[in-house]
Amino acid sequence: MIKRKEVLADLQTRFKKEITDIFDKSPHRVYIDIPPSALVPMSRYIFQDLGARFNIASGVDTRSHIEILYHFTIEDINLLISLRVRLNRQKPVIASLTTVCEAANWIEREIHELLGVDFTGHPDLRRLLLSDQWPDKVYPLRRDYKEWDKGAVRDRGVK
Amino acid sequence: MKKTVIPIGPYHPLQEEPEFFMLTVEGETVVDVDVQVGYNHRGIEKLSELKTFDQSTFVIERICGICSTSHPFAYTRAVEDICDIEAPMRAKYIRTIIAEGERMHSHLLWLGLAGHFLGYNTVYMWVWKLREEILDIMEIISGNRNNYAMFKPGGVRRDINPDDIPLVMKKLDKILPTLKMLYKAVRDDPVLHARTKGVGVLSREAALDFSALGPTSRASGVARDVRKDTVYGAYHEMDWEMIVTKNGDVYDKVAVRILEMLESIKILKYCFLHLPDGEIDAHIKNIPPGEGIGTHEAPRGETFHYVRSDGGNGPVRHKVRAPTFMNLPTYKATIKGAKIADASIILAAIDPCYCCTERMAVSDTKGERLFDGRELIRLSQQETLKWKQKLGAVEPPLEKLTRGTL
Amino acid sequence: MRLPKIRELLEAVKALAVGPYTSKFPKKPHTPYPSFRGQPKFNEDYCVGCLACEQVCPAQAIDHTDTVKGGRAVRTINHYTDTCIFCGECEAACIAEHKGIKLSRDWDLAFFDRKKSYESIERELVLCEVCGGVIGAKKHILWITNKIGELTFSNPTLYQTRLRELGLIDNNLLEIKKDGGRDDRLKILCARCRRQTTVGG
Repeated sequence: MIKRKEVLADLQTRFKKEITDIFDKSPHRVYIDIPPSALVPMSRYIFQDLGARFNIASGVDTRSHIEILYHFTIEDINLLISLRVRLNRQKPVIASLTTVCEAANWIEREIHELLGVDFTGHPDLRRLLLSDQWPDKVYPLRRDYKEWDKGAVRDRGVK
Repeated sequence: MKKTVIPIGPYHPLQEEPEFFMLTVEGETVVDVDVQVGYNHRGIEKLSELKTFDQSTFVIERICGICSTSHPFAYTRAVEDICDIEAPMRAKYIRTIIAEGERMHSHLLWLGLAGHFLGYNTVYMWVWKLREEILDIMEIISGNRNNYAMFKPGGVRRDINPDDIPLVMKKLDKILPTLKMLYKAVRDDPVLHARTKGVGVLSREAALDFSALGPTSRASGVARDVRKDTVYGAYHEMDWEMIVTKNGDVYDKVAVRILEMLESIKILKYCFLHLPDGEIDAHIKNIPPGEGIGTHEAPRGETFHYVRSDGGNGPVRHKVRAPTFMNLPTYKATIKGAKIADASIILAAIDPCYCCTERMAVSDTKGERLFDGRELIRLSQQETLKWKQKLGAVEPPLEKLTRGTL
Repeated sequence: MRLPKIRELLEAVKALAVGPYTSKFPKKPHTPYPSFRGQPKFNEDYCVGCLACEQVCPAQAIDHTDTVKGGRAVRTINHYTDTCIFCGECEAACIAEHKGIKLSRDWDLAFFDRKKSYESIERELVLCEVCGGVIGAKKHILWITNKIGELTFSNPTLYQTRLRELGLIDNNLLEIKKDGGRDDRLKILCARCRRQTTVGG
């Protein structure tokens, strides 16, 4: 059974050019910063060779850029690796992860409609959660989201 | 053969919850499935940013009615991960008690519904009567049958009164013989074997590729359980087994859930008898800036919460991932090639959170006959009857008395 | 095939003999367990009107209005039963020994008119003597004086409210000193007026 130190040392030597920062938060959490171009080769290595499980991806809109974190779990040593990519806020584009594992299909659809990130190479990028009446190019999870529905009820509803 | 797809719903007078699956069939075999979700989307992630850390627990509890503990458990673990604080030991035991009580009532609910879809309505009624005992236990401990309001970042909100424990242990002892009888009944029944063995198989490679979770993946031979992989709660204080089988069909999923219930009773009894003394709250005053991740093994799989804080009162970003989100796409691998009569039990086998198999629509390739959810359940029950006659199984007399309406 | 059927038939006979699990409501009344969380109710003797419950409520089911009613300034606190989620946070946050608002065991709460689905309680208010603004509920200020003991005498607002309640001073004494200047410091003041009279400007 491989140990945590060996996994991290292995990743650091193999992807030395790509990794910009590693934050060792606690014995079970590691946050690694990488550029968007390094996402697919690094996740392919973690998913297939290290035998990790793809957990989920979470997108955040900080006011300066859009960040997506990809979480992988290696169960034998109970380690959760999170890969952080930073995207340009005006035009967020990144390669899709569906070539590596099928589990990323739905979450990329969700991030696409809620944050406006474009995933190149995704087989089927249509709406997952929002209704068909929702207007285009209005992204709810962005910080500059404004209420567009004039008929929405915002109190107890008792006239 | 030409394939046509005709959608029904999602807002159809006969349906109970809006979510639907469009199955494309050729003759009697299902060829393709398209899962469409999102009709229950309430914007909880954005709502959580408007509340403080303490108030957000109540919003998170109401994401789901059956897995009402797993979301606050994962969320409080995520907030404690930001500040690197652990809850005191008594709080961990109380959290484990509530989590295992919820696992029992959720699996019992699923067992009843599976019986209903297969045509065993007596099992439906009996199992739900058994479930009432568990709900009474939860009411004695926490004050409510469903949304327990017990979790808090740093510990639990209310204590367990030691005078209630003898009554609770008596109720647990009443449930155990009936559960063992159900286990043996499922193991020996030939009609159940014929309906569920080899049906809806999820292979090990597909389970790894789709990142399936919970009993869905443990039935396919992938040994994953957050309670064994991570040290949290009181799970490492006692001996219990993780149930893994290798075939991946519906029969294995039923067996995994029933055996998990027997293990849950073991954990519950140990926790009640060995509850340690001490504080129930770590009194967190301030959440520093940072990010945290919390996980918990819900009845359906691993729940994952990611919380980011900037030092203020509430979360800046709260990402919620329920286990059914990863299990639903596995339909693409399990339902192709199955018969229509097996469609309802395959769709129910992953235990979608609040069983959404009522919202099914089937279209024939010639476009002639259209089935909705109730028709599919009736087809499944007729198939069971055919098997019963074929195997010469004698129907118990009570079946006629308790067969209710759909 | 016979043995399994006996096992299940025994269970069937037991089920027939015991009967259904549900209680016989509404023919017989149903009382829940003592720890059941039902409708929150205000307590006239304990509630001090501090609005801590309103601040912590996750569903925003408590609100208040400050009005003048019949010559007195009164704070009305409303709790909306149809918005309440019965979590118990108000009871946990109540400063009056968790008794000002308490969760009862009432669960049969159906009603016909949503406009009437609330409970209220009224508390008397203390007003600023210079600007007329609201300082707080009188019982809340008396609660503070009880809690800090002799330190009450550091703040004219606190000790004057307390002494007036005990009947040791009356209004006439303060009428004389109405000059809009330094003597205003010995009156019951809100925070802004206190700053203005002490620091000036």
